[in-house]
Amino acid sequence: MPAKKKIPPVLEILRDNIVKHGNPLALKPRETSAWAKNLELPVKGDILFYTGSEYQLLPFIDSLVKTLKIVDPSSTIFSWLMEARKIVNMTGINAEKIYASILAKDKERYYSINYKAVHVLRKLGYDLCYDRQGELYSGALLYELGFWKDLDDYAQRVADSIRKTEAKTVVCISPHAAEMFRKVYPQIVDFPDVQVKTFIEMVWEKRHLLPKIPCDSLVVIHDSCRLARELDVSQEIRDILDEIGVKYVEPFRSKEWTTCCGGPSKMLFPDISKIVAGRRVIELSDTGAEKALISCPYCLSALQSEIDKGNGVILEDIIEFLYRGLEAQCQI
Amino acid sequence: MSDLNKELGTYTKNLNKASQDTNINNAMNRAVKSYRENVASALERYPHTPELAEEVRKIKEYSIEHNEELLAQAMEVIEKNRGKAFYAKDKEEAFQILHDLIGTGKTIVKGKSMLGEELQLRHILENAGNEVWETDLGEFILQLKDDRPMHILSPAIHVPREQVAEIFSEFFKKTVPPDITKEVEVVREFLREKYFQADVGISGANVVAADTGQVVIIENEGNVRLCTGAPPVHIVLVGIEKLVPTFLDSMKVAEVTWRYANYTAPSYVNVISGPSKTGDIEKVTTYGAHGPKELYVIFVDNGRSEMMQEEDFKQASHCLRCGGCMYECPVFQITAGHYGRTYLSGIGSVWTTFVDGGLDMAAPMLYTCLRCGRCVERCPMKIDVPSMIGKLRSMVVSD
Repeated sequence: MPAKKKIPPVLEILRDNIVKHGNPLALKPRETSAWAKNLELPVKGDILFYTGSEYQLLPFIDSLVKTLKIVDPSSTIFSWLMEARKIVNMTGINAEKIYASILAKDKERYYSINYKAVHVLRKLGYDLCYDRQGELYSGALLYELGFWKDLDDYAQRVADSIRKTEAKTVVCISPHAAEMFRKVYPQIVDFPDVQVKTFIEMVWEKRHLLPKIPCDSLVVIHDSCRLARELDVSQEIRDILDEIGVKYVEPFRSKEWTTCCGGPSKMLFPDISKIVAGRRVIELSDTGAEKALISCPYCLSALQSEIDKGNGVILEDIIEFLYRGLEAQCQI
Repeated sequence: MSDLNKELGTYTKNLNKASQDTNINNAMNRAVKSYRENVASALERYPHTPELAEEVRKIKEYSIEHNEELLAQAMEVIEKNRGKAFYAKDKEEAFQILHDLIGTGKTIVKGKSMLGEELQLRHILENAGNEVWETDLGEFILQLKDDRPMHILSPAIHVPREQVAEIFSEFFKKTVPPDITKEVEVVREFLREKYFQADVGISGANVVAADTGQVVIIENEGNVRLCTGAPPVHIVLVGIEKLVPTFLDSMKVAEVTWRYANYTAPSYVNVISGPSKTGDIEKVTTYGAHGPKELYVIFVDNGRSEMMQEEDFKQASHCLRCGGCMYECPVFQITAGHYGRTYLSGIGSVWTTFVDGGLDMAAPMLYTCLRCGRCVERCPMKIDVPSMIGKLRSMVVSD
């Protein structure tokens, strides 16, 4: 089998940042936990609210991808740009963050999804904790990109960080994190004996407590690949919508046959990623629905860029949808 | 140290170019739609198929575990059937056997075969001084176009009728209109005489029954019947992973293969056990009646046994080559065979690793996969491509 390969800088950077800084873009905990500052969530408790910084990372990743589309990631220029990373080591300034954040948009929206998720879960009676300082990114990208040796050590750190919270249940708002905790980590580390649940499953269990939400417009459900195929969670979304009285339609491909949003190839194949996303947006808008509901941060981000081109359907994370429903109980 | 970064640069440009190609877009959109409709209709008409597929999966699991003994059994039976069986460990051995059997200066008609593509068979035979004709219509188009297959079952999926008309007009030196019926007709006329002039016919095989030595070839055009029936010599090139224990097993594998390849029933299923023979005169068995007098079966390994022995990857050898996964792959849908080399898309990257260039060649393909997993839903063998891709990626970046 193979000798070591020289791999694209963008992959090396993601790996280094996860291993050294606890998330793919080396964001500081004060940044990733800013959304929770007024929520007074305890660090320890029975139910750990786990963000993995995934929604927080989205605006930065989007900006990075825009940079990648301008500068060929396999080019010398890109390698040179990435050399700016050396400045980080000398000055403590994060280069990736500098150029990424220059272009960062939608930060407010993505950060607030965490807040809204907590709000919805609290309304349903869940008593949550959140480790603002100690929470680490789930490591899903290490797994996806093949950095399995790094993952062995990193998984232990994640496991330890969760163990410290003394939680009995971990609620993940990203299906990618849930997949890692439920299916991958138990195979490679001594993962804490916790129940791992997605946000959708937590809501589904107490869906009878949700109020009816008057909604005249038709919605379409986009199932995330990870949620529908890896975690077998798709009917739960329909049950929740049935419970709150929201009419929905299915796109041409749904549930276990759902179409990928293109997000996974954003970093290495940004052009292909956009076309895949665009085709999925067409599948969603072809239903005639006015709104598409998403339940994965990467799907939200990947599809949003194509929605912005005016495809006649509004994209909303199901967390945002439920939050607005609970707050307003109308005007959905 | 090989440089994935550089390889990705060129590869990505090709992928991006393919994704913007109108011919590919139109052809793939039509093909995906037809495939889905046809499979849905075929499964509705034959609802026992998913259950049969489950049975076939077990047959394949057993066959992979017992491949060595099935190979020995099949080779022995083929010899008893008055055929001749060979085992080729790698490409070079396969070429040597072919060279010994065919030599040079021969006319050869050839059916479509992925193994043939893997071995670059036509080029090898042409370089040895033979005249070779691809007889599958799609492969014939690509032969004239000097192009490579863009789908394992529909190799010229990316070439619309207008372009076919241009290619044929130039080759046949007469105006061939962009009318599919006319295009098919002109090739039929041209190849018909080649079948009967040919010294050798070469085919692949979809499955081989070890107990009877019978080779099963599924087709629709009828070219394989002619390739394997008209010339005096028939050579079968088949991967060792195609072996199953019994003839009944082989029929089950064949039915599941064609059903997921979007056919209710194919036009032809060829079952070949030995050379053509007759006993009509005084009950004396005489070989070479109307069909080939000689039958040679070359079982090719070329990395397959390594794949079958690797716990993490042996399931890749269950692949029936129905091509269904590709129609469900969001990247393949927009890039066709540019997402791949000989073997295409996610499952193709695993096959590339073992039989067509190794991990270095497979690396760009491995990172193209979205690991979305819809291919697994479609696959009748439920081959977990995303898990194998993950493992291979870890090998790409490991120290």
